Order: sequence, then structure tokens, then C-alpha cells
Amino acid sequence: MKFSLARQALILAALSLLPGVGQAIYFRDKISWRSPIPPSEMVSVNQAREWADSAIWIDARPDEDFARNHVSGAISLNEDRWNELLPQFLAAWSPGKKVVVYCSAQSCDLAREVAERLRKEAQLPDVFVLDGGWEAWLKQKR
Amino acid sequence: MVKSFIWRIVDFILAAVFIYAGVLKALDPVQLAHDVDHYKILPWTIGVGLAFYLPWLEIFCGLALIFRLFYRGALSILTVLVMIFLVATIAAKVRGLDITCGCFGHASQNWSFPTHLALDLAILAALAALCYCSMARARANAWPTRTP
Repeated sequence: MKFSLARQALILAALSLLPGVGQAIYFRDKISWRSPIPPSEMVSVNQAREWADSAIWIDARPDEDFARNHVSGAISLNEDRWNELLPQFLAAWSPGKKVVVYCSAQSCDLAREVAERLRKEAQLPDVFVLDGGWEAWLKQKR
Repeated sequence: MVKSFIWRIVDFILAAVFIYAGVLKALDPVQLAHDVDHYKILPWTIGVGLAFYLPWLEIFCGLALIFRLFYRGALSILTVLVMIFLVATIAAKVRGLDITCGCFGHASQNWSFPTHLALDLAILAALAALCYCSMARARANAWPTRTP
């Protein structure tokens, strides 16, 4: 079989697509195509609102953004002042409470990073990232 | 004869490297998607697509090197992949990003930047040598045989 270089490359590229698609279907529940956060660790604005007092809200945005405006009752906890702000948050947290972390929008990474650190470093269960972040919260408020 | 035997061994070593790397990544595409995302070059959705696709491309290209089927196509794909990866790694380093390449799954998590670079350059050099060898072979086969 003699194929040109481009045709050989194309055939290999196409062949690789088949198991790739199969795997994507198999892993569909374990990874989201929209965001790096798995669906099980996300919460919608409506769902988080329903939790009411059984949830603590964390604002993972920089201090200036928090000072400008934030979800009422939210506590600021960002990576810039992690060591300083974490004890304040832990003082407000109690076992059984869910934690909702948000940053500015769907595309920002801050909430995911803070949520990950809370799970790993502070060993907190039930930490969720707000789907759509602050932008989604504002939209729902309107 | 000895020369072609040596090149065949290089084929097998490279194939083993890519098949090993591909299998490790195919086992944990979720981690690979995060590793791709750490480079901050591509949108998340494309990174996820690549995480499902690239490992298999490496595996198929590795198999192609072993069985000498679509050989030149495999060599060119792997060369382009390694070059893209090299550029992305250097770009990430320049931008001060702390990345784990994910090239060999968790095994490569603690590799330093110079180790990544040295390995990539060695693979690239081997691929370039195989490309050259393959072209030389093709030229030799195409050479008209002289009749007395």
C-alpha cells in the first residue's frame, strides 16, 4: 500500500478519532465540556439560594471586587490573603454547612482553586462552585 | 544492514515512548484535560477534546512506527506534536506558569523544566533522524536500476 505522506497522516488522525469519541462518551459524567469543574461540584444560583442558611457563601474574587459589591452575607476568601482570611472563614463555618464559592464569571478559575484548597487543606466536605459566578448571580437578581 | 538494524531499534524505542505516554494519558483523560488547561493557551472545551484525542493519536502513531504502516505519516504527526509541545512548554515557562506537562501522566509530575526540555529535544532529534532516514530510503528505492 503506497499512500502519500498527507494521506497517511490523515488516516492515522481519523483512526485516532474513533477511540477518542468512544472515551468521551464513556467519561461524559466525569468531566464537563463547559468548565473544568465536574458537574457534581457545581451548584446553580437557584439551588444555592434554596440552601439559604445551611450554606456559607465565599467570595473568591480580589479584595477590590469584594469591596465594590458581593453576595449578601458572603465572606471574602481569596488566594492573595489566604492565610489571613482562612481563620475568619473557619470561625464562621460549622459542620454540616455547605460552602458555595464564587468568582466573577464562568470562565474564572479563582472559585475552583479556592474550592479545591478548602477541600484539600481545610478538609471541608460539601464545597461547591457557583455555576456562572457573580455574573450569574447578578442576572438572577434582576 | 547494521545501520538499518540500529534505525529499527530507534523506531521501537520511540514507539515504546509514545505508546507508553499515550496509554498513561488515555487512562486518565480528566487529569490530562486539567494539565492542558494549565498551559492557559486553549479554551477548556478544546483542551477536553484534545485530552480524549491526543493519547490515541500517540498510540496509533507508535503502532505505525512498529508495524511500518503509514510510517511517514506517523513520523510527521509525531514530529509536529513534539514541536508544538516544545513551544507550548517554553511559552508557559516564559509566562511564569507552574505547569505539570502531563506527558507521562503522574510519572512526569515532578520533572523539572530542563528535564522536560532535554527529553523533548532528544525525541525531536530521534524523529528528525528517522524522517531523514526514511526519505533517504525512499530516494534509494526510487533510483532507476542500471542495466548494463
